[in-house]
Amino acid sequence: MKFIKTHISLIFPLIAILLGLEFFIVFDRTTDSFEKGLQNGYSMMVVSKDEMSIDDFRSWDTHIEQVKELEKSKILERLNMNDEKSKQKKFEASLPNFYSLKLDGYLTVEALDTVKMNLKKSSNILSIETFQSSYQSKYELFSFIKFSFQTFIIFMAIIGFFLIVKQMEVWNFLHAQRMKVMEIFGASLYLRSKVLINMALIDAVISAVLTSGIFYLFQNSWVKGSQMEILKDNIDSVFRYSDLFILLFMAIVVVMIAVFLVVVNVKEE
Amino acid sequence: MSNVITASNLTLGYENDEEIIKSANFSIKKGDFVFITGPSGSGKSTLLKSFYGNLTPESGSLMVGGLDMIDIKKKNLQELRSHLGIVFQDYKLINEWTVEKNVVLPLWISGYSADVQATQAKRLLHHVKLSGKEEKYPMELSGGEQQRVGVARALAKNPFLILADEPTGNLDEYSSNVIWDLMENACHQLDTTVVVVTHRIPMVFNIPYRHFTIDENGSVYEVH
Repeated sequence: MKFIKTHISLIFPLIAILLGLEFFIVFDRTTDSFEKGLQNGYSMMVVSKDEMSIDDFRSWDTHIEQVKELEKSKILERLNMNDEKSKQKKFEASLPNFYSLKLDGYLTVEALDTVKMNLKKSSNILSIETFQSSYQSKYELFSFIKFSFQTFIIFMAIIGFFLIVKQMEVWNFLHAQRMKVMEIFGASLYLRSKVLINMALIDAVISAVLTSGIFYLFQNSWVKGSQMEILKDNIDSVFRYSDLFILLFMAIVVVMIAVFLVVVNVKEE
Repeated sequence: MSNVITASNLTLGYENDEEIIKSANFSIKKGDFVFITGPSGSGKSTLLKSFYGNLTPESGSLMVGGLDMIDIKKKNLQELRSHLGIVFQDYKLINEWTVEKNVVLPLWISGYSADVQATQAKRLLHHVKLSGKEEKYPMELSGGEQQRVGVARALAKNPFLILADEPTGNLDEYSSNVIWDLMENACHQLDTTVVVVTHRIPMVFNIPYRHFTIDENGSVYEVH
C-alpha cells in the first residue's frame, strides 16, 4: 500500500504524458498512410494548346510530381460520338491536349490555389480543373481530425506537466531535509539524489510498461473488432514493440529532468 | 602542534546584511577543546557555519584542515565535510531513517561496508546509552535521545574536528552529561579538536579548555 502511495503520484502524470506521446506516434503513423492514400487518389486536370512535358509543367510550379497525358481517342470514346471515322480524326486533331497532374504532397487548399495560379501564368495552358470542392471537403475533414487530436495530445501533455510540477513540490517537501543533512556530511550530488533517482527510474519503467500495455490491448482487442477502416488497415501501426523503448526513453528523460530540478533547488540552510 | 583552524582578519556576514564577525584573528590547534560563547545574535553560529563551509567569508582568510575556505572547490568541501563531525541544536536527523542508519550516515557516504557500519553503530549507540534503539525512528525518541544520536553520528568516522552548535540547549541533565562526557573523551583520548558554541559553559568540565567570546560588535576574544 505504501509502495503504491509513494509511486502513484508520479506514475499517473507520467502515464498521461506517455499516452499523449504514444497517441502522437500512432496518429502520425496511421494518418501518414491515410494522407498518402489521399495524395495518390488526387490529380488535377490541365488542358493545353500545345504538348507539354513534365519539365514544362515544373518550370511553372515545382509541386508537380507526375504528368500523364490523356489520350484524345479515349476521351472521344467516352463521349460516344457516332460520327464517321474521318470526321472523328479531324475532330481529334482539333482537340487541345489533356493532362492529369499528380502533386508531391497533400497540399493545403491555399497551396493548391497557388499551384493553379502558377500554371495559369503559362499562355499555353487553356484550362485547369482542381476538383477543389471535393478536395477541400476531404482536406478540411482531415485537418479537423488532425487538429482535434493534436489539441487533445497537447492538453494531456499540459496536464501531465502540471502534475509533475506538483510532484516535484511533494518531492522537495519529502526529500529536502535528507538531502540537506547529507550535503552537510559531505555527500556528493549523486548520493544525495540516489533515493530519488531510484524511485523515479522505477516509476519511469512502470509507466512505460503500463502505457505500452494499454496500446497493446487497444491493438489486440478494440481495433480488431472496430469498424474504423483507417485503424484496421493500419493495425500494425497502432503499437510496435519498439514503442516501448521510445516511451521508456521519454519517461526516463522526464523523470531525470524533474529529479535534477528538485536536487539543484535544495539549498543548504 | 599544527593548527586545525586559522582565522586572519576574518569577516563574516550574510548577503545584503551588515558584517556579523569583524576582523577575527585566532587559531585552534589539534586536540584543543574550545567553547565559543556570546550574547544571542552575536554571530556564534555564523562563525561555526563558516568552519564547515556553510558560509563563505567576506574578507580575510580562514583555513580549516589546511584548506582555504574562501576559494574552496566543491569536491574539496565534500571531502573536508566527510572528515568533520557536526552536531546541531535541532539535531538534523533524517526522520525517515532508523537510528542506526542515521548514526552511520558519514560511513555510508564514505562507502564503508555494511559490516563496518553495523559494528560501529552498535559501539556508538552503546556509548550514547541508546543500545537496543537501533531500529527506532527519530520521532520515537525524546529530544535528549535524538541529540545523543546526533552526537553518535558526529563521532561515527572518528573526525579530526567536531563542531557543535548548542549541543545541550534544552536537554535534560542526564543527556547533557552523556554528551559532554563523549566530547571530553573524543578530545582527550583521540586528540580530536572540538569547537562548541554554547550559551553556558558546563559547571563541571574535566579537561582543559579554551574559551572564546564574541561581543555585540562582532569582535572575537579569547578569555580563557
